[in-house]
Amino acid sequence: MSSDNVARNNLLNADRSKSNKKFGDILGYKIETIREPHINTTASPAARGSVSLVRSDSQSLDSFDKIRQICAPNAIGMTSSHVSLDMGKCILCGRCRDAAPDLFELKSNFALPVKERADLVEQRNFEITSPDVEKIASHKAISSELRDKISKTLGRSLEVREVDAGSCNGCEVEINAMNNPIYDLEQYGIHFVSSPRHADVLLVTGPVSRNMEIALKRTYEATPDPKIVVAVGACGCSGGIFGDTYATVGGVAKVIPVDVYVPGCPPRPEAILYGLLLAVNKIDKTSIASKSISATLND
Amino acid sequence: MVTKEKTEKPDGVPPLENTILDNLGNRVREIIALNGNELHVHLVSKDAIPEACDFVSHVLKAKLATIICADERKLCGSFTLRYVFEKIGEDDLFIVLTAKVGDTEDDAKEELGTSFPSLAFQIPSAALYERDIKDMFGLFPAGNPDTRQLVLHEQWPLGIYPLRKDFVRDTKVARTDGKYPFTKVDGEGVFEIPVGPVHAGIIEPGHFRFSIQGEYIINLETRLFYTHKGTEKLAESMKLDQVLLLSERIAGDEAVANSTAYCQAIERIAKVKIPTRAIQTRTICAEMERVYNHLGTLGGMATDVGYGFGAARLNILKERMMQLNEKVTGSRLLFGVNRIGGVGVELKEDKLLLVARATSEMLQDFERVISALRSTGSVMDRLQGTGIITREVATDLGLVGIAARCDGVDVDTRRDHPYAAYGSLRPDVRYNTPLKRTENEVMLQKRRGDALSRFDLRATEIRDSIGIMNELMANLDGNGELTVAIDGRLRPYQHALGYAESHRGQTIHWVMIGEDCDSLFRYKVRTASFVNWPAIEQAVLKDIVADFPLVNKSLDLSYSGNDL
Repeated sequence: MSSDNVARNNLLNADRSKSNKKFGDILGYKIETIREPHINTTASPAARGSVSLVRSDSQSLDSFDKIRQICAPNAIGMTSSHVSLDMGKCILCGRCRDAAPDLFELKSNFALPVKERADLVEQRNFEITSPDVEKIASHKAISSELRDKISKTLGRSLEVREVDAGSCNGCEVEINAMNNPIYDLEQYGIHFVSSPRHADVLLVTGPVSRNMEIALKRTYEATPDPKIVVAVGACGCSGGIFGDTYATVGGVAKVIPVDVYVPGCPPRPEAILYGLLLAVNKIDKTSIASKSISATLND
Repeated sequence: MVTKEKTEKPDGVPPLENTILDNLGNRVREIIALNGNELHVHLVSKDAIPEACDFVSHVLKAKLATIICADERKLCGSFTLRYVFEKIGEDDLFIVLTAKVGDTEDDAKEELGTSFPSLAFQIPSAALYERDIKDMFGLFPAGNPDTRQLVLHEQWPLGIYPLRKDFVRDTKVARTDGKYPFTKVDGEGVFEIPVGPVHAGIIEPGHFRFSIQGEYIINLETRLFYTHKGTEKLAESMKLDQVLLLSERIAGDEAVANSTAYCQAIERIAKVKIPTRAIQTRTICAEMERVYNHLGTLGGMATDVGYGFGAARLNILKERMMQLNEKVTGSRLLFGVNRIGGVGVELKEDKLLLVARATSEMLQDFERVISALRSTGSVMDRLQGTGIITREVATDLGLVGIAARCDGVDVDTRRDHPYAAYGSLRPDVRYNTPLKRTENEVMLQKRRGDALSRFDLRATEIRDSIGIMNELMANLDGNGELTVAIDGRLRPYQHALGYAESHRGQTIHWVMIGEDCDSLFRYKVRTASFVNWPAIEQAVLKDIVADFPLVNKSLDLSYSGNDL
């Protein structure tokens, strides 16, 4: 063992012995639920959360074209005057940033879920140079708004049915994480239900495989109105890396109407929560024109 | 024959070659050693397959690892079947029996399309591979008792085979009216319960058909491949580096294991030795993956026995590990760890401290939760004797991973075919003295193959993984290169196996390089889940329906990894 390693080993061991925690931390009372969360509560600065186009004078269409070939899900597009980056396809591998740090930026903030698929596409004209206003989601704001909306619109509860339409299980891991005591989804009145017949919201992941297409349609039909569909992950938004092949349909929107798109591969639990907020907004806005429904729900 | 290259033969192979030649004699065309530990035995014709496989499996005691089919009509005028057998124990060796199927003369002779002899009765685990080949290549396994559609469901028309080279990847095939006949169980008081594909929990889709009498399950039939996404076909149209990203998404929670297997296959073809630092980083991340997933499975088992307290605690620990993953690699699911020829993450001093602290804290809490679970009667009562898999079933189905190790079948790719940093350390580093090793051996034999033994083994593996991580972190080469270039080292149609032990068991990938050396001609993936899924049909027999979720969770099978 080299002297470097000995020194490091001592450091590692010293560090381990420092961390003798109290019994109560895990079996008792100190539960670290995120009650007043804000964006960086769980995201690390090293996280690959979103990619965006950098505005720089040195940009040239030629170099951009080369990077375009690297992107596995074809998220980078180009016309004669515009370049575009589609977060609905991006799988956050960071290859574009590695190849051209002057054109792409990798951020730790998650990409914001949106209601219109087109809003996930970042367009950039080469001539314009004024910076975009940074959109940063405040988790605190999201959660308090979410709690209010839900209690107003649905009488303190939002029932969600999750449907895996061919995902790789990555999104399911994150959706399951929303249920753990740290994200504690139920504190907002959101609850996962076992049947579409009990659901207000369908949370759909995966590029929709051919073999799940009919099952997804039937699940949608079995869900009572008013119903909201949230497409989760790059696959759900666009087909992601799996795209549109003999075995996949290429996105949830090709099978059933989608109300909210949550980008990411996989999206962080906070991002899915944000998507649910948008879903509730949608219920509020449309309210399916029948005040009687919301009146009943508010009783 | 595609590959002309010959490499130095590993020690001990020549006698084996002679044994094979002595016994199979005129059925063998040639024997070629490749990639260090692959012995390719080319058979003269497909009729020799049953005898050769029988010999390798029952006399040489090698275990069927996978069956690979490739459409090489463009290259050599026929399909090629490769039966991959692995030696377990002392020798690190894969025996690959290769036979051509469907030459032009063949086709002319046969009326029912091209067929190949089935091994279903000699080696039961071969049956599923054969059905897979039938769907994807249109080669008929003659003698296989079950020829129902497997991957492509009943609405896929006959006569269209996605993995044939003349099938275009994006073809949209019209649905047809087909029926899938489930096994019928008749008798007084026998009821059927269909479950899925959309399940009640937040899990992947699959269909289960229970036949029950009273509460007891007397037959279970699983129907999978609902998440079939055409992964293998898709890989053939991608660049090598893009396939790496795809391999991470074969099963999202097995990203490191699958990408490691893929990268190693390419690296073996390129004959590069990746830097020590990259090897160590790869191994540390593989163990981090094992830890967070085992924690999740234990948490799921606690949920399924109705012990919410334990489940909540274990899920907190899993979340902490996932946050650690993100701090160390930038991804909560460890996406982006591997690169072809090395790794894409740099473990610096500060990150090592982070890992050391987080894992040691986690372990302290973990021991408390586990002892709480183990001292709760209702938990133990549900786990004990539930979902028993016998050693016989494990051997017949060729199970891998924890499912096998709990039945006294000692297989572990990390030890049987050392890769990455596992050559220099045993997977069970904690058992570093002969006495402890013997104790471990006794424990192995004592396990009953029930949910409790799988629970205990997962807990043990979490401790072992952290032991491995600590040992590697203490000896980490802090300044070396992270990747080594493989440019220009690949030739068209070279091929190799890559393998890794995920938290579910052995994952084995086979790649054949494409014509332009930056794409794949064929990518065959066999994850642990594909092998272990049939075991659940055996495990639930004699259990009640309410125990099914627990048995399912205790085996921790991936749908996406199975369906591809």
